Amino acid sequence: MTGALEGLRVLDLSGALGNYCGKMFAELGADVILVEPPGGSPLRAEPPFAGDEPGPDNGLTFGYVNTGKRGIVLDLDTPEGAAALRELAGTADLVIESDRPGLATARGLAWADLAARNPALVMTSITPFGQTGPYAAYEADDLLLEALGGFLSLAGYPGGPPVRPAGEQAVAAGNLFGAVASMIALTSAELTGRGQHVDVSVQESVVLALENAVQFYDLEGTVRGRGSGQAARAGSGVFACADGDVYILAAGIGGNRFWPNFVAWMEAEGVAETELLQGERWNERAYVASAEAKEIFNRIFGGFVAGRTKAELYAEAQRRRVPLCPVSTAADIVVSRQLGHRDYLVEHAGFGALMPGAPYRLSATPWRTTGRAPRLGEHTDAVLREIGVTA
Amino acid sequence: MNVPLHGIRVIDFCWVGAGSFTTKILADHGADVIKIESEAKVDGIRLSPPFAGGRAGVNRSGYFADRNTSKRSLALDMKTPGGRELARRLVASCDVVANNFTPGTMEKFGLGWEDVHRINPRAVYLAMSMQGDSGPERDYLGYGATISALVGLHHFTALPGRPPLGTGTNYPDHVPNPAHAAFAVLAALRHRRRTGEGQYIDVAQTEPTIALLGPLIMEWTVNGRDAGPQGNDHPRRAPHGLYRCAGEDRWIAISVLRDEQWPALVRVLGLRSVPEGWGEMAVRHRDRASVDAMIAAAVGDREAPVVAEALRAAGVPAALVQNTADLVHRDPQLAVREHWVRLDHPEMGESLYNAPPFRLTGTPVRPTRSAPLLGQHTDEILREAGLTDTEIDDYRQQGVLR
Repeated sequence: MTGALEGLRVLDLSGALGNYCGKMFAELGADVILVEPPGGSPLRAEPPFAGDEPGPDNGLTFGYVNTGKRGIVLDLDTPEGAAALRELAGTADLVIESDRPGLATARGLAWADLAARNPALVMTSITPFGQTGPYAAYEADDLLLEALGGFLSLAGYPGGPPVRPAGEQAVAAGNLFGAVASMIALTSAELTGRGQHVDVSVQESVVLALENAVQFYDLEGTVRGRGSGQAARAGSGVFACADGDVYILAAGIGGNRFWPNFVAWMEAEGVAETELLQGERWNERAYVASAEAKEIFNRIFGGFVAGRTKAELYAEAQRRRVPLCPVSTAADIVVSRQLGHRDYLVEHAGFGALMPGAPYRLSATPWRTTGRAPRLGEHTDAVLREIGVTA
Repeated sequence: MNVPLHGIRVIDFCWVGAGSFTTKILADHGADVIKIESEAKVDGIRLSPPFAGGRAGVNRSGYFADRNTSKRSLALDMKTPGGRELARRLVASCDVVANNFTPGTMEKFGLGWEDVHRINPRAVYLAMSMQGDSGPERDYLGYGATISALVGLHHFTALPGRPPLGTGTNYPDHVPNPAHAAFAVLAALRHRRRTGEGQYIDVAQTEPTIALLGPLIMEWTVNGRDAGPQGNDHPRRAPHGLYRCAGEDRWIAISVLRDEQWPALVRVLGLRSVPEGWGEMAVRHRDRASVDAMIAAAVGDREAPVVAEALRAAGVPAALVQNTADLVHRDPQLAVREHWVRLDHPEMGESLYNAPPFRLTGTPVRPTRSAPLLGQHTDEILREAGLTDTEIDDYRQQGVLR
């Protein structure tokens, strides 16, 4: 079986801001070539490391976001290295890069330079603020981009500091929108023969994560704050149970259609004071957000879950059509019967351990992986030989 | 036509969050996305705040509007035989069929993957149920926020020693699921261009977000250690944190990436009695609690935007923790890049929308059409499909077009 993106060649010159994008292309069948500088990608030096041993092939992040790729070394700051890249770009469909704006031009490797001999080429630049504007030249990492994109204003305990969404989600958003934008531009290039330069702003990608917060400000004049956990409104939030925590979202969702299921569950379990959860007021937005409603719900439901396990609460709530999930730990995810049934986790051959697998299942052109990242310069000779360049 | 997805037609049964945003990305880039919806079972997000002028109504939700730009709406009651018949007719000539129902729902309409493949072998079929089409929990229900808990984001997003927190949003709906799903659809359309073959795409709304947590999951599978609540610290660098400034709930983020930035920070903040070893990243990281305390004391009574600007001017990565008012009114970067788009809407009037977070320099697009009213394009779409006005009236009489 072929991959959906078979026949595409992608040059991935990026690091954290683009390697996951490249991985998405690789694992749907494109020939993705990771291009690293002589000392290796800086991402190779970022913790955590397998066995806590720093080493170029031990970084879990580098190792995860570069599976399925070939790897070559080119020094793009030398005329020979830049010339080899131009040669290689003549055979490519997509270049992904994340250098500070202006650097590619200084190296003679801007889209216009590369497209001169390959007009269908798409170049996607994923940078903190995009190629234009007063912040374009500023450096920023994931924390700053979550701040400037507004995401941190929504996450945190009431009254406490903002808390950063885990797993570098600004970096993730830039990669993901970079992948979508690249596919749109490649679609256009395949249909018209004309490629283009795609300018992705990570800050703007984060802004898209703000749910309805911007519309709340625009339409109702409210600045949405940090109301996670139990405090937002009654009927939702994190509750400690016997072996961890569960998260419930039983009220205030699309017409409050699950609330009756929840109340019926509490009645069937013979939970004390269940009658307080009944009545028309539980359908009113203002009441559900009130301190009284929260106090009632938290007292009744908090007491109920305290003696029960994540697994039994999850199964029973779902049987009764109440939106409740366990707050999963890493171990829970690894032993999940649902993910296990779907063979979701797959082997990372480099680490000899499991990693997340297919984020989508395509019936005719399935996702697949080589299961490891390239060693530094592993394919330099082979790739340069393919295009008739000697290093 | 210089719009990249011109000519692609999507029959869109998606509703609520993740699905609707997936098809919006396609619509904003030129695909003709026909949203199939019904007064009989209104898309829940049409009933979700905020509302224009604070007044509820199925055509007044800003949440719905931002997620459904550039689409057309066809009101069709899929519980009626006529509704199912019309849907099949539209599906016969489309490129993509999308839904995010629980598995089995589309089958009940006679529009499961096998049905659609028989009617239209070239169609790409996107199904994005909560947990995918197989497995013991395939029928379970949830939303972005419960998914976020189920996939580990709540567990990892928290301060050490405090309860699980999460992002305060239905995050999987907004970025991980729609972006992965849109990418998969565009890849499948490429395969279709080359082979003529449609295919079935199963996206479980849990699996893309777990894919974004790879290194955190692998701390467990590789090192046998649960990475636990991540807090605001960085595993290697310091300072890296959030510091409260003057005013109500104003914070700045500071992140020193390299040692050369540290003396500049010391100078701009006027820090005194700084231990000599703090010139080195590893030492600052070891002493990060003290480093953070010193910075917090130095910025506590200063104006956040002023401090952030002064640090940036000195080459120190720093930023205001922006709220939505900052983003809309004061962020100079978003303004210059014209991130915000104001579109007129028949009931809501003019309101604010996001532009895509990227610029396609060769085929520029902007959302130009606000979200549709429920059923706004019913007659237009049915006429295009070859129905006469009499036939349309008949369907309407039968209660199909609602």
